[in-house]
Amino acid sequence: MSGDEPEFIQPPNTLKNKVKYGPDGVDLDMLEKAEQIIANLQGNYLEWVQDDLAKLQGFYEKAMATPEGERAKVFKDLFGVAHDVKGQGGSFGYHLMTAIGNQLCRFLEGTQKTGAAELDVVKVHLDAMRLVIGQRMEGDGGKMGENLLRGLQAVVSKVAPK
Amino acid sequence: MAGYSLERLNFLVVDDNKHMRALVKTILHALGSKSVVEAADGADAFKELRHFPADIIICDWNMSPLDGLDFVRLVRTGKDSPNPFAAIIMLTGHTEMHRVVEARDAGVHEFLAKPISAKALYSRIRAIIERPRPFIRTATYFGPDRRRRQIEYKGRERRKAAKQEQVVDQSSVGLSQAEVEALLSG
Repeated sequence: MSGDEPEFIQPPNTLKNKVKYGPDGVDLDMLEKAEQIIANLQGNYLEWVQDDLAKLQGFYEKAMATPEGERAKVFKDLFGVAHDVKGQGGSFGYHLMTAIGNQLCRFLEGTQKTGAAELDVVKVHLDAMRLVIGQRMEGDGGKMGENLLRGLQAVVSKVAPK
Repeated sequence: MAGYSLERLNFLVVDDNKHMRALVKTILHALGSKSVVEAADGADAFKELRHFPADIIICDWNMSPLDGLDFVRLVRTGKDSPNPFAAIIMLTGHTEMHRVVEARDAGVHEFLAKPISAKALYSRIRAIIERPRPFIRTATYFGPDRRRRQIEYKGRERRKAAKQEQVVDQSSVGLSQAEVEALLSG
Protein backbone atom coordinates (compact mmCIF):
# COMPACT_ATOMS: atom_id res chain seq x y z
CA MET A 1 0.00 0.00 0.00
CA SER A 2 1.29 3.43 -0.90
CA GLY A 3 0.45 6.38 1.31
CA ASP A 4 -1.09 8.75 -1.21
CA GLU A 5 -2.51 6.30 -3.70
CA PRO A 6 -5.90 5.04 -2.61
CA GLU A 7 -6.70 1.61 -3.90
CA PHE A 8 -9.98 -0.12 -4.59
CA ILE A 9 -10.64 -3.49 -3.04
CA GLN A 10 -13.66 -5.43 -4.19
CA PRO A 11 -14.84 -7.38 -1.15
CA PRO A 12 -16.60 -10.70 -1.62
CA ASN A 13 -20.30 -9.93 -1.93
CA THR A 14 -21.67 -12.61 0.34
CA LEU A 15 -24.97 -10.79 0.79
CA LYS A 16 -25.83 -11.33 -2.85
CA ASN A 17 -25.63 -15.09 -2.35
CA LYS A 18 -27.63 -15.09 0.85
CA VAL A 19 -30.41 -12.66 0.03
CA LYS A 20 -33.07 -13.83 -2.38
CA TYR A 21 -35.64 -11.59 -3.99
CA GLY A 22 -39.06 -13.18 -4.02
CA PRO A 23 -42.57 -13.41 -2.63
CA ASP A 24 -41.32 -14.37 0.84
CA GLY A 25 -39.20 -11.24 1.13
CA VAL A 26 -39.82 -7.96 2.89
CA ASP A 27 -42.66 -6.13 1.21
CA LEU A 28 -44.93 -3.31 2.25
CA ASP A 29 -47.29 -5.64 4.12
CA MET A 30 -44.43 -7.09 6.15
CA LEU A 31 -43.16 -3.59 6.94
CA GLU A 32 -46.63 -2.49 8.06
CA LYS A 33 -46.89 -5.56 10.28
CA ALA A 34 -43.45 -4.81 11.76
CA GLU A 35 -44.53 -1.23 12.50
CA GLN A 36 -47.65 -2.61 14.18
CA ILE A 37 -45.56 -4.93 16.33
CA ILE A 38 -43.53 -1.92 17.50
CA ALA A 39 -46.75 -0.01 18.17
CA ASN A 40 -47.87 -2.92 20.34
CA LEU A 41 -44.72 -2.45 22.44
CA GLN A 42 -45.94 0.97 23.54
CA GLY A 43 -47.06 -0.47 26.89
CA ASN A 44 -43.54 -1.80 27.48
CA TYR A 45 -42.10 1.58 26.58
CA LEU A 46 -44.30 3.31 29.15
CA GLU A 47 -42.86 0.96 31.77
CA TRP A 48 -39.21 1.22 30.85
CA VAL A 49 -39.27 4.99 30.31
CA GLN A 50 -40.01 5.18 34.03
CA ASP A 51 -36.48 3.86 34.59
CA ASP A 52 -35.10 6.74 32.54
CA LEU A 53 -37.21 9.27 34.44
CA ALA A 54 -36.01 7.78 37.74
CA LYS A 55 -32.40 7.98 36.53
CA LEU A 56 -32.85 11.62 35.52
CA GLN A 57 -34.35 12.38 38.93
CA GLY A 58 -31.46 10.56 40.62
CA PHE A 59 -28.80 12.47 38.68
CA TYR A 60 -30.66 15.73 39.26
CA GLU A 61 -30.62 15.11 43.01
CA LYS A 62 -26.97 14.08 42.85
CA ALA A 63 -26.15 17.31 41.02
CA MET A 64 -28.00 19.31 43.66
CA ALA A 65 -25.94 17.63 46.36
CA THR A 66 -22.66 18.19 44.49
CA PRO A 67 -20.68 21.43 44.77
CA GLU A 68 -21.20 23.55 41.64
CA GLY A 69 -17.61 23.27 40.49
CA GLU A 70 -17.74 19.48 40.52
CA ARG A 71 -20.99 18.88 38.63
CA ALA A 72 -19.61 18.36 35.13
CA LYS A 73 -19.62 14.56 35.42
CA VAL A 74 -23.22 14.50 36.68
CA PHE A 75 -24.26 16.77 33.81
CA LYS A 76 -22.66 14.28 31.46
CA ASP A 77 -24.72 11.50 33.06
CA LEU A 78 -27.85 13.63 32.68
CA PHE A 79 -27.01 14.07 29.00
CA GLY A 80 -26.67 10.30 28.56
CA VAL A 81 -30.15 9.59 29.90
CA ALA A 82 -31.73 12.51 28.03
CA HIS A 83 -30.11 11.12 24.90
CA ASP A 84 -31.75 7.74 25.50
CA VAL A 85 -35.13 9.42 26.00
CA LYS A 86 -34.63 11.34 22.78
CA GLY A 87 -33.71 8.20 20.90
CA GLN A 88 -36.63 6.06 22.00
CA GLY A 89 -39.82 8.11 22.41
CA GLY A 90 -40.57 8.54 18.73
CA SER A 91 -40.28 4.82 17.99
CA PHE A 92 -43.28 4.20 20.23
CA GLY A 93 -45.43 7.15 19.23
CA TYR A 94 -44.11 9.55 21.88
CA HIS A 95 -42.51 12.10 19.58
CA LEU A 96 -42.89 14.79 22.23
CA MET A 97 -40.53 12.83 24.49
CA THR A 98 -38.01 12.83 21.65
CA ALA A 99 -38.45 16.59 21.19
CA ILE A 100 -38.05 17.35 24.92
CA GLY A 101 -35.10 14.95 25.22
CA ASN A 102 -33.49 16.59 22.22
CA GLN A 103 -33.92 20.06 23.65
CA LEU A 104 -32.43 19.00 26.98
CA CYS A 105 -29.47 17.40 25.17
CA ARG A 106 -28.82 20.54 23.12
CA PHE A 107 -28.96 22.64 26.27
CA LEU A 108 -26.66 20.37 28.28
CA GLU A 109 -24.04 20.14 25.55
CA GLY A 110 -24.14 23.90 24.93
CA THR A 111 -23.95 25.21 28.47
CA GLN A 112 -20.64 25.88 30.18
CA LYS A 113 -22.27 26.51 33.54
CA THR A 114 -23.64 24.00 36.04
CA GLY A 115 -25.29 26.35 38.52
CA ALA A 116 -28.75 26.66 40.03
CA ALA A 117 -30.30 28.14 36.87
CA GLU A 118 -29.00 25.25 34.76
CA LEU A 119 -30.38 22.76 37.27
CA ASP A 120 -33.75 24.52 37.04
CA VAL A 121 -33.70 23.93 33.29
CA VAL A 122 -33.03 20.23 33.87
CA LYS A 123 -35.88 20.07 36.40
CA VAL A 124 -38.50 21.65 34.13
CA HIS A 125 -37.57 19.26 31.32
CA LEU A 126 -37.85 16.32 33.68
CA ASP A 127 -41.23 17.57 34.91
CA ALA A 128 -42.38 18.00 31.32
CA MET A 129 -41.35 14.43 30.47
CA ARG A 130 -43.28 13.15 33.48
CA LEU A 131 -46.32 15.12 32.35
CA VAL A 132 -46.13 13.71 28.81
CA ILE A 133 -45.96 10.14 30.10
CA GLY A 134 -48.47 10.70 32.91
CA GLN A 135 -51.00 12.27 30.55
CA ARG A 136 -50.20 9.81 27.76
CA MET A 137 -49.53 12.69 25.36
CA GLU A 138 -48.84 10.67 22.23
CA GLY A 139 -47.54 12.07 18.97
CA ASP A 140 -46.64 15.76 19.16
CA GLY A 141 -49.10 16.23 22.03
CA GLY A 142 -51.37 18.56 20.07
CA LYS A 143 -51.94 22.09 21.35
CA MET A 144 -50.87 21.13 24.86
CA GLY A 145 -47.65 19.65 23.55
CA GLU A 146 -46.97 22.74 21.48
CA ASN A 147 -47.46 24.99 24.52
CA LEU A 148 -45.26 22.74 26.63
CA LEU A 149 -42.39 22.89 24.13
CA ARG A 150 -42.75 26.64 23.72
CA GLY A 151 -42.62 27.08 27.51
CA LEU A 152 -39.49 24.94 27.74
CA GLN A 153 -37.86 26.87 24.93
CA ALA A 154 -38.59 30.13 26.78
CA VAL A 155 -36.89 28.75 29.90
CA VAL A 156 -33.88 27.60 27.89
CA SER A 157 -33.53 30.91 26.07
CA LYS A 158 -33.39 32.75 29.41
CA VAL A 159 -30.59 30.58 30.74
CA ALA A 160 -28.65 29.36 27.71
CA PRO A 161 -25.60 31.35 26.59
CA LYS A 162 -26.47 33.91 23.94
CA MET B 1 -45.68 -8.37 -3.53
CA ALA B 2 -42.04 -9.38 -3.54
CA GLY B 3 -38.96 -8.21 -1.69
CA TYR B 4 -35.60 -9.23 -0.28
CA SER B 5 -35.64 -12.13 2.16
CA LEU B 6 -33.51 -11.47 5.23
CA GLU B 7 -33.94 -15.02 6.48
CA ARG B 8 -30.36 -16.17 5.88
CA LEU B 9 -28.58 -13.04 7.03
CA ASN B 10 -26.69 -12.91 10.32
CA PHE B 11 -27.23 -9.70 12.29
CA LEU B 12 -25.17 -8.48 15.23
CA VAL B 13 -26.96 -5.80 17.28
CA VAL B 14 -24.68 -3.76 19.53
CA ASP B 15 -26.25 -1.33 22.00
CA ASP B 16 -25.71 -0.75 25.70
CA ASN B 17 -29.42 -0.09 26.17
CA LYS B 18 -31.26 -3.38 26.47
CA HIS B 19 -34.55 -1.81 25.40
CA MET B 20 -33.01 -0.54 22.17
CA ARG B 21 -31.51 -3.98 21.52
CA ALA B 22 -34.93 -5.52 22.10
CA LEU B 23 -36.52 -3.04 19.72
CA VAL B 24 -34.02 -3.67 16.92
CA LYS B 25 -34.25 -7.43 17.43
CA THR B 26 -38.06 -7.28 17.34
CA ILE B 27 -37.95 -5.38 14.06
CA LEU B 28 -35.45 -7.80 12.50
CA HIS B 29 -37.49 -10.82 13.53
CA ALA B 30 -40.65 -9.16 12.19
CA LEU B 31 -38.83 -8.74 8.88
CA GLY B 32 -38.06 -12.43 8.74
CA SER B 33 -34.54 -12.60 10.23
CA LYS B 34 -33.75 -15.79 12.07
CA SER B 35 -30.23 -15.10 13.23
CA VAL B 36 -29.78 -12.08 15.50
CA VAL B 37 -27.07 -11.92 18.15
CA GLU B 38 -26.85 -9.14 20.73
CA ALA B 39 -23.88 -7.46 22.40
CA ALA B 40 -23.92 -4.75 25.06
CA ASP B 41 -20.80 -2.85 24.01
CA GLY B 42 -18.03 -2.71 21.44
CA ALA B 43 -15.72 -5.06 23.32
CA ASP B 44 -18.44 -7.71 23.70
CA ALA B 45 -19.36 -7.30 20.06
CA PHE B 46 -15.77 -7.82 18.93
CA LYS B 47 -15.67 -11.04 20.95
CA GLU B 48 -18.93 -12.19 19.36
CA LEU B 49 -17.52 -11.57 15.90
CA ARG B 50 -14.83 -14.19 16.49
CA HIS B 51 -17.39 -16.96 16.34
CA PHE B 52 -20.45 -15.30 14.78
CA PRO B 53 -20.07 -14.47 11.07
CA ALA B 54 -22.18 -11.32 11.05
CA ASP B 55 -23.31 -10.09 7.64
CA ILE B 56 -24.68 -6.82 8.97
CA ILE B 57 -23.71 -5.14 12.22
CA ILE B 58 -26.13 -2.61 13.68
CA CYS B 59 -24.32 -0.66 16.35
CA ASP B 60 -25.01 2.23 18.67
CA TRP B 61 -22.56 5.08 19.10
CA ASN B 62 -22.63 5.75 22.85
CA MET B 63 -21.29 2.74 24.70
CA SER B 64 -18.54 2.01 27.15
CA PRO B 65 -15.82 0.87 27.58
CA LEU B 66 -15.51 0.64 23.79
CA ASP B 67 -17.88 3.00 21.99
CA GLY B 68 -19.43 2.49 18.58
CA LEU B 69 -16.85 4.51 16.70
CA ASP B 70 -13.91 2.68 18.30
CA PHE B 71 -15.65 -0.60 17.58
CA VAL B 72 -16.08 0.27 13.89
CA ARG B 73 -12.40 1.22 13.65
CA LEU B 74 -11.45 -2.03 15.35
CA VAL B 75 -13.55 -4.07 12.92
CA ARG B 76 -12.11 -2.23 9.92
CA THR B 77 -8.46 -1.92 10.85
CA GLY B 78 -7.82 -4.16 13.86
CA LYS B 79 -5.01 -6.64 13.14
CA ASP B 80 -7.09 -9.50 14.50
CA SER B 81 -10.41 -8.35 13.03
CA PRO B 82 -12.45 -11.42 12.02
CA ASN B 83 -14.40 -9.53 9.36
CA PRO B 84 -13.05 -6.15 8.21
CA PHE B 85 -15.57 -6.06 5.32
CA ALA B 86 -18.71 -6.49 7.46
CA ALA B 87 -21.51 -4.11 6.59
CA ILE B 88 -22.10 -1.69 9.45
CA ILE B 89 -25.11 0.48 10.19
CA MET B 90 -24.45 3.15 12.81
CA LEU B 91 -27.52 3.73 14.92
CA THR B 92 -27.48 6.88 16.99
CA GLY B 93 -29.24 9.94 18.28
CA HIS B 94 -26.21 12.01 17.29
CA THR B 95 -27.33 13.44 13.98
CA GLU B 96 -25.19 16.54 13.73
CA MET B 97 -23.29 16.91 10.46
CA HIS B 98 -19.86 16.50 12.06
CA ARG B 99 -21.03 13.31 13.78
CA VAL B 100 -22.30 11.84 10.53
CA VAL B 101 -18.97 12.67 8.87
CA GLU B 102 -17.06 11.15 11.81
CA ALA B 103 -19.04 7.91 11.54
CA ARG B 104 -18.53 7.82 7.78
CA ASP B 105 -14.80 8.35 8.21
CA ALA B 106 -14.60 5.50 10.71
CA GLY B 107 -15.93 3.21 7.96
CA VAL B 108 -19.68 2.76 8.47
CA HIS B 109 -21.86 1.86 5.50
CA GLU B 110 -25.06 3.50 6.63
CA PHE B 111 -26.17 5.93 9.29
CA LEU B 112 -29.58 5.63 10.96
CA ALA B 113 -30.95 8.31 13.25
CA LYS B 114 -32.90 7.39 16.36
CA PRO B 115 -35.78 7.15 16.99
CA ILE B 116 -35.94 4.30 14.52
CA SER B 117 -38.79 2.63 12.68
CA ALA B 118 -39.06 -0.66 10.83
CA LYS B 119 -39.21 1.16 7.50
CA ALA B 120 -36.15 3.29 8.24
CA LEU B 121 -34.08 0.31 9.37
CA TYR B 122 -35.10 -1.76 6.35
CA SER B 123 -34.28 1.10 3.99
CA ARG B 124 -30.67 1.01 5.26
CA ILE B 125 -30.48 -2.78 4.98
CA ARG B 126 -31.87 -2.57 1.46
CA ALA B 127 -29.30 0.08 0.55
CA ILE B 128 -26.53 -2.26 1.66
CA ILE B 129 -28.00 -5.13 -0.36
CA GLU B 130 -28.64 -3.11 -3.51
CA ARG B 131 -25.54 -0.92 -3.55
CA PRO B 132 -22.51 -2.98 -2.62
CA ARG B 133 -19.63 -0.55 -2.46
CA PRO B 134 -15.98 -1.28 -3.07
CA PHE B 135 -13.62 -0.76 -0.18
CA ILE B 136 -10.94 1.88 -0.24
CA ARG B 137 -7.58 1.65 1.44
CA THR B 138 -5.48 4.76 2.00
CA ALA B 139 -2.86 5.68 4.58
CA THR B 140 -5.61 7.01 6.83
CA TYR B 141 -8.77 5.16 5.85
CA PHE B 142 -10.03 1.67 5.30
CA GLY B 143 -13.70 1.14 4.66
CA PRO B 144 -16.50 1.37 2.11
CA ASP B 145 -16.10 3.94 -0.64
CA ARG B 146 -17.19 7.27 0.83
CA ARG B 147 -17.99 8.79 -2.56
CA ARG B 148 -21.72 8.36 -2.76
CA ARG B 149 -22.64 11.20 -5.03
CA GLN B 150 -21.84 11.54 -8.66
CA ILE B 151 -19.78 14.70 -8.91
CA GLU B 152 -18.10 15.72 -12.13
CA TYR B 153 -14.43 15.67 -11.24
CA LYS B 154 -11.87 17.23 -13.55
CA GLY B 155 -8.73 16.80 -11.49
CA ARG B 156 -6.17 14.03 -11.57
CA GLU B 157 -7.69 10.65 -10.76
CA ARG B 158 -5.65 9.42 -7.81
CA ARG B 159 -7.41 6.14 -7.27
CA LYS B 160 -5.96 2.93 -8.56
CA ALA B 161 -8.15 0.73 -10.64
CA ALA B 162 -10.12 -1.95 -8.90
CA LYS B 163 -8.16 -5.06 -8.09
CA GLN B 164 -10.79 -7.10 -9.84
CA GLU B 165 -12.31 -5.86 -13.01
CA GLN B 166 -15.77 -5.07 -11.80
CA VAL B 167 -17.97 -2.26 -12.93
CA VAL B 168 -19.44 -0.30 -10.07
CA ASP B 169 -22.82 1.11 -10.93
CA GLN B 170 -22.96 4.51 -9.28
CA SER B 171 -26.05 5.73 -11.05
CA SER B 172 -28.19 5.27 -7.98
CA VAL B 173 -25.63 6.21 -5.38
CA GLY B 174 -27.02 9.33 -3.77
CA LEU B 175 -27.79 10.32 -0.23
CA SER B 176 -31.12 8.82 0.72
CA GLN B 177 -33.95 11.03 1.87
CA ALA B 178 -33.68 9.72 5.40
CA GLU B 179 -29.96 10.45 5.48
CA VAL B 180 -30.61 13.99 4.38
CA GLU B 181 -33.24 14.26 7.10
CA ALA B 182 -30.77 12.80 9.55
CA LEU B 183 -28.26 15.44 8.58
CA LEU B 184 -30.76 18.23 8.87
CA SER B 185 -32.61 17.19 11.97
CA GLY B 186 -29.75 18.12 14.26
